[in-house]
Amino acid sequence: MADLVDSMLDLMRRLPPTRTEENVNALIGVCPDYADDLLGSVDQPLQVRTDRLTGREYLACDYNRDGESFRSPWSNEYDPPLEDGTVPLPKLRKLEISANEVFDTYREMYFEGGVSSVYLWDLEDGGFAGVVLLKKTMTPATPQEPSGSWDSIHVFETAERGRQAHYKLTSTIMLQLITKKGSEGDNADGDKKNGEKKGPESWKRDGEVTLSGSMTRQTEQDWPIHDASSHITNTGKMIEEMEIKMRNLLQEVYFGKTRDIVYDLRSVDDLEKTRRQRELQKELLGSFKR
Amino acid sequence: MDSRIGAACSFILQSPPGEINDVLNDVRNIISDDETLEEGVLPALKEYNLAQFTTVDVPGTEHQVRASLSIISEAARLPTSENGEERWLDPRSKTSFGFNHLTLEASDPQPFEPDADAEEFRYVSNNIFLTFDDETATRSSLEKASLTYLLAHFHDGVASVFSKQGAQNQYLLQIVANKYNPSNYWSGRWRSEYLVNLNENTVEGKILVNIHYYEQGNVQLSTNHTISITLPSAVVTSPPSSAALKILALIETEEGKYQTSLNDTYHEMSEKTFKGLRRALPMTRQKLDWDKVLGYKLGAELSSSKGAFSTS
Repeated sequence: MADLVDSMLDLMRRLPPTRTEENVNALIGVCPDYADDLLGSVDQPLQVRTDRLTGREYLACDYNRDGESFRSPWSNEYDPPLEDGTVPLPKLRKLEISANEVFDTYREMYFEGGVSSVYLWDLEDGGFAGVVLLKKTMTPATPQEPSGSWDSIHVFETAERGRQAHYKLTSTIMLQLITKKGSEGDNADGDKKNGEKKGPESWKRDGEVTLSGSMTRQTEQDWPIHDASSHITNTGKMIEEMEIKMRNLLQEVYFGKTRDIVYDLRSVDDLEKTRRQRELQKELLGSFKR
Repeated sequence: MDSRIGAACSFILQSPPGEINDVLNDVRNIISDDETLEEGVLPALKEYNLAQFTTVDVPGTEHQVRASLSIISEAARLPTSENGEERWLDPRSKTSFGFNHLTLEASDPQPFEPDADAEEFRYVSNNIFLTFDDETATRSSLEKASLTYLLAHFHDGVASVFSKQGAQNQYLLQIVANKYNPSNYWSGRWRSEYLVNLNENTVEGKILVNIHYYEQGNVQLSTNHTISITLPSAVVTSPPSSAALKILALIETEEGKYQTSLNDTYHEMSEKTFKGLRRALPMTRQKLDWDKVLGYKLGAELSSSKGAFSTS
């Protein structure tokens, strides 16, 4: 029933991104047998958790989950503790430790805050796969200040081919921005400046603007490898390039595209006036031709 | 209630503009029990249509405006008749009709004559006797002014003006504008509603905008904005036709201001929030030197494990 999963994913692509968690849970309630398919293919906002051993924050998602427990990249321990939780083989764990250190620097350079986590796992065919997670939240000091959150999920798979490695990267960025506004006053704004009172007209305005969503992009590339740590620099370069590209894309869609559509619905300028002017021009042009 | 139906209803109510059928198809596939579903989700479909100001082409009515459509909303709902049938009002053509919330089709149009009881004189707070005819005149003046406003500012808009049921001298102006562009993966809806209360001399309004962009993603803009205006006495004491024009001029100013203020909000979100979340490039204005970062990290790890040669 791949068809059913397709319908679930199509539905998730249409419903408000602000309610993803609630809707995924509702879908799991309807089709409990498909819980793993859903959790594995619908990106949800990353949860920040604290490693009980090191006190460091890490990110929880489906990739570091085993049952109800999540593994911390810093201590390699599951919380709640698991006797036989899945962990990477020692060689891969060593790479995972380095990757976490390196991407923590990346996080500081670009996000100047937030949390990062890298998880790696062995693949059956001998290669390995991993996920690089980054999250930053801006909490406003006052309700009038804008708030927002950025969640990056970069999933990659790699296969070594001699001195080359082939990488497949799927990146999803979830971005949410919220602004609340409220104002109150007498008369029109222009009148206030002149200090004139023009009558008893007064107004009050309140509102909220929410821009939220996610975008996903994929790329496949080959890079040379010298030793195991080459995988970190290679995926690092790919992810950096991808985030720069996607940041531009998000900027275009969030602040350009959605705004343009608002203007496709309503025009600030008087459309009738424009229409009349155009007709007048046509008439004038016509009289010249005659 | 079947919890599956509860989930289905919740999904339907969250449908983005113009995508109710896509959502419904997905839900049908997921529930795969059409019989239970169709009956179960009907209340949700109705709630969605009312809240979203769903537009309908009422057969036999011909409005002059290019959008010859009627709005389905709470204000358009007529008191349920004895046989339990629900009917809706197109105030412009004074037509009542039945409406199917699943197929979104109107049926059985009938000329609508307002309640005769309302024809008696009414006593209104500001010591003016208002007749039923006055109220009709005010409503149609507001309707005329609304349609002029609609043509001036909306590309594909529909507007309806209703006399508020069970209240005197109160009118509901509703506007909806939709644009659906599935081949380019976007859709949008603008809704505004104003309660013009000529007893209190106020206009209470709200504007709701929903945009969905879903090319290789799912991005949604959702805004809500409420306005309350106290009408100057010069407006209230004018004859209906000029009062209506003045009220619509105030609404035009408010909606224009709101749309312009959205630009400022966009600017602020882009310049403050977006940039604050993630920089375009690091402070160094250069991409990371990955080999150097890796080398440094590995070096730091080695020296810390040896305990000696600490760099700090």
